[in-house]
Amino acid sequence: MTGAGAALKRWETLMFVLLVAIIALNSLDSRYFLSIGNFVNLFQLSIEKSIVALTMTLVIIGGEIDLSVASVMGLAACVAAWTFQHGAPMPLAVLLALAAGIVAGLNNAFWIAYVGLPSLAVTLAGLIGYRGVARIFLEDRAIGGFPEWFNQLGQQPIIGPLTASIVIFFILFVFFAVILHSSALGRMIYAIGSNVQAARYSGVRVGLIKTDLFVASAFVAALAGVLYAARLGSVRGDMAEGFELDIITAVLLGGVSIFGGKGNLAGVGLAILVILNLRNGMGLANITGNTQNYVIGGLLVFSVLAPNVWQDVRNTWRGREI
Amino acid sequence: MRKMMMSAAAFALLALAPQSGWTQVATVTPGKDVSMVLLPKFLGILPFDQAHKGAEEAAKELQNPAALQFLGPTPQNSVAGQIEIVTNATTQGVKAIMISNNSGDQIAPAAKVAQAKGVKVVTWDSPIPSAEGEDVFVAQVDFSEIGKVMADMALSILGPNGGKFAILSASPDASNQNAWIAAMKTALKDPKYAQLNLVDTVYGNDESEKSYTQAQALVDKYPDLRLIMAPTSVGIVAAAKALQDEKLCDKVKVSGLGLPSEMLAYTKNGCAPQFALWSFVDLGYLAYYTAYALATGAIKAEEGAKFKAGRMGDYAITKDPTRAKGLRVLMGPFTVYTKDNVEAAAK
Amino acid sequence: MTWLQRHVRPEQIRELSLLLLIVVAIFFFGSLIDGYYTFRTFNRIASSVAIITVVAVGQTLVVLTRNIDLSVGSIVGFTAYFVGTLIASHNSINPFFAVAIAILIGAALGVVNGVLVSWGRVPAVVVTLGTLAIYRGVLVDLSGAKTVTTDSLPQWLIDLPLLNVLPIGSLDIRALFVLALVIVVLFHLGTIYLSFARRFYAIGSNPEAAQLIGLPMKSVVFLAFVICGALSGLGGFMMLARFGNITVEAGRGLELSVVAAVVVGGVNIFGGSGTVTGAMLGAALIGTLEQSLFRLGISEFWLNAVLGLLILLAVASDAIILQRLRALWTRAELKLIVGAPEKRGTQP
Repeated sequence: MTGAGAALKRWETLMFVLLVAIIALNSLDSRYFLSIGNFVNLFQLSIEKSIVALTMTLVIIGGEIDLSVASVMGLAACVAAWTFQHGAPMPLAVLLALAAGIVAGLNNAFWIAYVGLPSLAVTLAGLIGYRGVARIFLEDRAIGGFPEWFNQLGQQPIIGPLTASIVIFFILFVFFAVILHSSALGRMIYAIGSNVQAARYSGVRVGLIKTDLFVASAFVAALAGVLYAARLGSVRGDMAEGFELDIITAVLLGGVSIFGGKGNLAGVGLAILVILNLRNGMGLANITGNTQNYVIGGLLVFSVLAPNVWQDVRNTWRGREI
Repeated sequence: MRKMMMSAAAFALLALAPQSGWTQVATVTPGKDVSMVLLPKFLGILPFDQAHKGAEEAAKELQNPAALQFLGPTPQNSVAGQIEIVTNATTQGVKAIMISNNSGDQIAPAAKVAQAKGVKVVTWDSPIPSAEGEDVFVAQVDFSEIGKVMADMALSILGPNGGKFAILSASPDASNQNAWIAAMKTALKDPKYAQLNLVDTVYGNDESEKSYTQAQALVDKYPDLRLIMAPTSVGIVAAAKALQDEKLCDKVKVSGLGLPSEMLAYTKNGCAPQFALWSFVDLGYLAYYTAYALATGAIKAEEGAKFKAGRMGDYAITKDPTRAKGLRVLMGPFTVYTKDNVEAAAK
Repeated sequence: MTWLQRHVRPEQIRELSLLLLIVVAIFFFGSLIDGYYTFRTFNRIASSVAIITVVAVGQTLVVLTRNIDLSVGSIVGFTAYFVGTLIASHNSINPFFAVAIAILIGAALGVVNGVLVSWGRVPAVVVTLGTLAIYRGVLVDLSGAKTVTTDSLPQWLIDLPLLNVLPIGSLDIRALFVLALVIVVLFHLGTIYLSFARRFYAIGSNPEAAQLIGLPMKSVVFLAFVICGALSGLGGFMMLARFGNITVEAGRGLELSVVAAVVVGGVNIFGGSGTVTGAMLGAALIGTLEQSLFRLGISEFWLNAVLGLLILLAVASDAIILQRLRALWTRAELKLIVGAPEKRGTQP
């Protein structure tokens, strides 16, 4: 246990050192970097992905995966826009969008937790299908013209310089950190992720907890989709397309094992900060497009590779066989 | 390059700016330090690189000491990427951003913030539909004109007896493609086109492979289809290749908007007897001049302002009749390419 | 226990359940679409499935070892683009040499993945999510936004996808489809009869045991990635031949189609079970659905919703059919052990 604990600690240390290095580099490189406005922008530009990364962390620690999140984001945004355009008051439209998220989550959960299909297959079908349903609502149109308060929700600061989306991210971060790290539910999620059979034999209601995970994942994705719509002030059928890979990248960079059972929310929080600061710094240095992607892709591989290579080197140094 | 469709667009421009006839034509002062960003829809396809070339040409002429930044997102991250680039450019305090907008109205909040910080926002190739957050749109050609040119090409290919045809577009969210398709549908109401029967609109997402299979699917679904109209440079080549592979080029033709260098073979072998395009090099050049003129204060973004855009001559800012709100600078002209002029243009 | 039950495991005849689903789908669409039962329909599905199948065979090997390769879409695009550029500037290049180069480029990219996974001990998802972005990024940066166009390619390459290998009446059996079939058959037989290839299964079904009996885990996983890269390279060549016009976007998102084919084809995502034939049938099922839904006249805007639902139903019914088969087998085994069906056998 202490070994694992130390490894986790090392992981977060690594992320932290990386973060400090990136921030230092950015502030040397660009005089625009160290300003409150820029820090808010840096969060705000990817805040929806960051929010969904929180629930994705829980899902992956539970030994599953949810590829459908970006499509659920799109679906929720489209439901909100469509119902609004058809006369629903905006608060009702938002509630219906969140309800659509819950329905999508229940659908995922049914096939995974009760029929027993692999989550990769089910949520891959969801990735295609929920995007398809979103497309049915909006076809080739874009819907905007939402009430001012709704747009402000995504664009105007509410506490100091922070927008509602950023505040919601921090609230959800604390909420899920408490659930994952100091509740019985959290312990059961780890138990299922490390050994589902053992968890089942020790009385964990695996089906129920998986249902919780997938409903939470889709609900939070729907919430993020609505916030995304508020930030952009207009909705199209391709909202959030392709976000799933960025979200999963952040979780894995946070040290969460893709095989479940390992990782924590602090690591993911640090990883999000690393990615956001890196993207922002590169953006301010006029490095965009693919170069950004492959720097982050390279970082993802390197951050796991480096400690392993270091360990190998050290072992060889001490003349020990692995 | 023979220009066949230029006059209509030029007349439209004059007719739309009657009160500006006596306004002074502003000349821009070269050599001012104006940092500018050229933002394409995404990186990796030829038209945007051509526009970049044109903008660089203008930058050199104007001796702008600040280097032009050509920054673009990846195709799969186009919307979020464009918003991010606009936001970062605002933080950096650039003087002007030139956007080929792929994000519809979703980019408006970020563009409005940029404007509030004193950044001039010029769109080119594809505007912000609501015109919110946009100073002026540099239109390649009049959007209703594009619809009419496509209808004319369809008529000329299908002949007076007409027939069934289908549209192969980029993505359902490409607002300029949608505007052109809408303009074409309006144009088709003219009795002249009564025999042209538009049966379907499908999307190839600007991917060669998807466009190719969509073109095949169209000929399966409509055995008596006579023409595929593709207002996208990726889609038109893929459709032409698909029909050639099906050995259907005698029966089903391809037309739309495409690059001469990519369409050469299909135009010469008769698969795509006619297609149209404007010069992306000129579009980048004009967008740069417009943004530079605005950012240096030579002109204001208001109806009637006139300026001289280097080798391309005088241009005026007018109301954009193809949108509810918004101003535009109309470039024009169109070139319709046939087997007679495509070879020279492909070079 | 019947002869069949004694010699075949239910997982091995799972392909039958997929085949059954495909037949059901074909009858279903055939009854709704005029002129569906034509060779043209067959050719459409066969051509659209060929490339995905070849890549899915490689992916199957990787998945069998309890890994995954998400970079295949970028490898396909990378090879299609660079081999295309090479052939465009050297039209006289030997066709076999061109194919060999495509396979080599793919294999080289697979080597990078394999080394990082096997010896770098980085989880495959992490490595290939990274290389998915990196390979594509390098491609875009090196390309200068140029497109490989059909007219710059030699005639043999343009004719290749239309080449009719086996004319049976008016039925075209086209070269790329035959190539895909050959790859599937070779790898199917290989993974079943070559003792070396059985290691892919051994490692995936029980890594600890495989390590205990001294299997060279690292080399086997490495090999899986290299083969997957090589087959993706071949897939890239096929894409070049079929579509002719190759942008830097070629093959983007292909990894999802390939993973879908493998998962629908019944390859266990946690390793150890599944066959390359299953992956091919998975690709064929999805290809049939995609091609037929459009013909059905379903609006463009409804396609994906219906497709997602049908994929879900296919996976579910496949799982249920397989469950039934397993139950039959277990009952037969119990009969064999206990001797009489009345006596209840206890589970070990």
